[in-house]
Amino acid sequence: MATSFKTELLNGIHAFGTTVVRGATTKDSFKAALYLASATVNASTTAYSATNEVTGTNYTAGGVAVTNATVPTSSGTTSYWTPSASFAWTTVTLATAFDCVLLYNSTQADKAVSVHTFGSTTITAGNFTLTMPTNDSTTGLLRIA
Amino acid sequence: MSDVPLIWTSHGNMLVSLLDYRTEWDFQPTYIKLTESYFLGDELVRQSAHVYDKQGITASGQAAQI
Repeated sequence: MATSFKTELLNGIHAFGTTVVRGATTKDSFKAALYLASATVNASTTAYSATNEVTGTNYTAGGVAVTNATVPTSSGTTSYWTPSASFAWTTVTLATAFDCVLLYNSTQADKAVSVHTFGSTTITAGNFTLTMPTNDSTTGLLRIA
Repeated sequence: MSDVPLIWTSHGNMLVSLLDYRTEWDFQPTYIKLTESYFLGDELVRQSAHVYDKQGITASGQAAQI
């Protein structure tokens, strides 16, 4: 399989099935939302939903915007992409335990991209930050090998 | 003007010196999590968490051999 094809998948170049009408060639916008530990959010999740999303002081439903300043690229036969900044929630109180973040495409009908888990967590009048891995072919957030 | 360090808590700004600061590390294959907690006596008044995602996720692309 062509490595260039893997990168082009990340860039939305190919469509083997029904696709969407794009109004421009600009990249999509992505968001990150937190979900309760009691929720079932996994590879079967197809889109963002407010059901079982965390709620609390200073948390906005839908989560935070993902900073995307680095285009997908490849190394060897692996294509990869990683957000260019941490996901951060400041001065929040999230009293009910949460354990995962859903990355989703807010431009394309909130379609799900990936789920990342980090163990049961609560926040009290504090901050929650999720620092991204190194953007390379072995640790990047999204990789097609 | 005071230069006594304050920190925001569930009771508003409080003197850091009044609080008991505790940390907890969670080392996992895919992430490292640091939880910082401030207690006023037995009461948790501030808790933050910082997660470092060590490794994202991989999809494997496979083309059939012809």
